[in-house]
Amino acid sequence: MDQDAKLISSAKSGDKVAFGKLIRKYEKTVYSFAFKICRDKEKAEEAMQETFINAYRGLKSFTGSSKFSTWLYRIVTNNCLMMHRKKSHEPVVSLEDSELFRETGELQVPHWGETPQDAVLNNELKEILDRAIQKLPLEYRIVFVMRDVEGLSTEEVGKTLKLSVPAIKSRLHRARLFLRNELNPYFTR
Amino acid sequence: MCEKADRDLSSPTCKKLREHLAKCPDCVAYYDSLKKTIILYKNYKVEYKGSCCEEVLARLELDKPLQISLPKKSRPKSPKRS
Repeated sequence: MDQDAKLISSAKSGDKVAFGKLIRKYEKTVYSFAFKICRDKEKAEEAMQETFINAYRGLKSFTGSSKFSTWLYRIVTNNCLMMHRKKSHEPVVSLEDSELFRETGELQVPHWGETPQDAVLNNELKEILDRAIQKLPLEYRIVFVMRDVEGLSTEEVGKTLKLSVPAIKSRLHRARLFLRNELNPYFTR
Repeated sequence: MCEKADRDLSSPTCKKLREHLAKCPDCVAYYDSLKKTIILYKNYKVEYKGSCCEEVLARLELDKPLQISLPKKSRPKSPKRS
């Protein structure tokens, strides 16, 4: 039995010290993921706390068939979605109808030139990245962050979001394209 | 690119893709900008410096069922048998 399994087993029997160890081990991962979705430090902290509260209350349903971290991703994703729906009255926007994907004839590909891959993320660039991803509908943002930023497999993302692999691939493609287009003005000026 | 598309690097699709990229600067630029978009978001990290452990555990303490201590019922003494 690995260390996580032992801690989970103890926490299931009500051992809060063991659960505290799990919190300390995963809080940075959960916070970082929540921030990447919410793009707001306070909301990310709220989502993180709710995630651990929900995790403790639902621990008995964790069977160990997936990694504990994957299970936490599922909970934090739901919390971010719920917080977003509660606080936002924006209509649900689908990228399916976006101008970006209409047939426009010849494909225009702006060249980004010599942008270094490890470009220093100065404040201006951070603001641009924040603005761009905040325009991306949450359902697409989550797929992009899970798959491309956190490095989960397409299957894991599908299981977490209860979506088929083709649906994940389609959302991911659209999310990447949307973000790339939002960043175009910055890198082609 | 094949890795991002969840395809085997040696698959015929990936081979065709590589051949096409070798002669299409527009597709190279397109792929390059997508790759850089992903890298930029990967590099944008925000670290959580505190710990929410104490606060979460304190909130979970409230989950304990209320334990109200009631005075024990005084049982009537059974009559002594002689």
